[in-house]
Amino acid sequence: MRRIDPREAHIKPLPTPDADSQAYWDALKEGRLLLQHCRACGHKQVYQQALCRQCGAEELVHEQASGRGTVHSFSVVHRAPGPAFKQDTPYAVLLVELEEGPRMISSLAGADPMSVDFGNPVELVCERLDDGTVLPRFRPARA
Amino acid sequence: MTAPSVGAAPQRNTIRGSAAIVGAGRSAVGRVPGRTPLALAADAAKAALADAGIARGRIDGVLASVAFAAPFHRFSVAFSEYFGITPTFSNTLQVSGATAATMFNIAAAAVAGGLAENVLVLGADSLLSGLSPDLALRSMTESRDQQYEMPFGIPVANTFAMTAHRHMLEFGTTAEQLARVAVIHREHAMRTPGAQVTEPITVDDVLNSGWVTTPYHKLDCSLISDGAVAFVVSAADRVGEFRSKPVYILGAGECYTHEHIFLMPSLTTTGAVQSSAKAYAMAGCTPKDIDVAGVYDCFTGTVIMMLEDLGFCPKGEGGRFVDDRQITYGGSIPCNTHGGLLSYAHPGMPGSLLHFLEVVQQLRGQCGERQVAGAELGLVHSLGAGFATQATTILGTEATL
Repeated sequence: MRRIDPREAHIKPLPTPDADSQAYWDALKEGRLLLQHCRACGHKQVYQQALCRQCGAEELVHEQASGRGTVHSFSVVHRAPGPAFKQDTPYAVLLVELEEGPRMISSLAGADPMSVDFGNPVELVCERLDDGTVLPRFRPARA
Repeated sequence: MTAPSVGAAPQRNTIRGSAAIVGAGRSAVGRVPGRTPLALAADAAKAALADAGIARGRIDGVLASVAFAAPFHRFSVAFSEYFGITPTFSNTLQVSGATAATMFNIAAAAVAGGLAENVLVLGADSLLSGLSPDLALRSMTESRDQQYEMPFGIPVANTFAMTAHRHMLEFGTTAEQLARVAVIHREHAMRTPGAQVTEPITVDDVLNSGWVTTPYHKLDCSLISDGAVAFVVSAADRVGEFRSKPVYILGAGECYTHEHIFLMPSLTTTGAVQSSAKAYAMAGCTPKDIDVAGVYDCFTGTVIMMLEDLGFCPKGEGGRFVDDRQITYGGSIPCNTHGGLLSYAHPGMPGSLLHFLEVVQQLRGQCGERQVAGAELGLVHSLGAGFATQATTILGTEATL
């Protein structure tokens, strides 16, 4: 196994898009969260791949998600997973259920992390990082 | 000439009773400075060979887990070179915490199928001394998805925490019930020589130990340790060649429901339902028949969910089951009598091999004041990666064959 370098552990991991996910990460730079819709069976998926996880068909088309969802579960991190995230604690990692159905991992933006609860309505907020990557984060939905 | 009758082929759909653990041993565990993962592995292998009463040259198969604190992609091969053996069957397995039980399942199939005669099952790591708590946590986090999970700072602990949180919502499981798991494990560790932590703790101590990731406090989380464990697995018809009392592999099952936590079908019911059902069916027993268990205890809530999914109590009842002290002496299923990952040691992938070591020693009747009276049938359940990987092994004495 690759032994982790202590210097590397101080750098936050950033997504490296691949052939399956390039369009997803490109669209986020324009503020759009793309879901794959299966034309054969109607299944919708966040995780970008070459075939439908439900029926195996390859007729997947991108549709923009509404960006609205609810908190299916969450955990507020006080002990960071390594040095790179220490200055961010406490922060709330969210398991968001999008209103289209699929779930995704994200984190809470713009609110007290300890205020989050099950079923809270949340909405997409695109966070641009120094390297140009845009992360899909979520904030409490505005009434 | 008569045609061969349908179904006359020999039954080859089970490994029940065809292989046995004939040697078991460990290195020093806990905080073990100055020993690399390979050195710890050699310590454990020597102990297992001494227990079996055979020389290292008799080992012709090696199955190992990977080590975070060693740079080897092929730990089983690197170990063989280091230890001076030339196996003709070898593999390094990686399904996170579930690797332990899968190694026994595969070793049993390998000796039953003629791939090897004597398989060394091995796990070693040095998370505490060879890495550090910070680097160990980051190394484990590297196992999350690089695009969809890691950028959000999701610790491995967080995946387990989100399932426990949901369990509390759906079934009313309380923080006190989670804490009770830690308290019972500590009681067990206090009776186990070599346990990493042995100070008594209370439910309040757990609740006041500070947040790690909600709903888990520090004492809801397992330890970070060094250590290695090794076993010799051989064919059941050759157990007479070894010095130790054999423990037979009676049932094996695995299940892999997802890779990503956001694609876990249900946060509160896991693939342990399927892996254990397969193992019980192969062994020909039910949860009620099991005398002693090793249940993966990376976090307190993990134990509660597994007690349900392994069939020791109904779904949603895990918290009350623990409150009733059903998981310790006098209860319906004594679990982790050595103290588990929570209080004995958690050296990473070898952690669940320590559960195997304890259950083997229980079935041999070697546990002294920790002995579960009359233990004949044992179960070990290993899991990992936020419940993505699940593997169950059922073990028994000669009387259970």
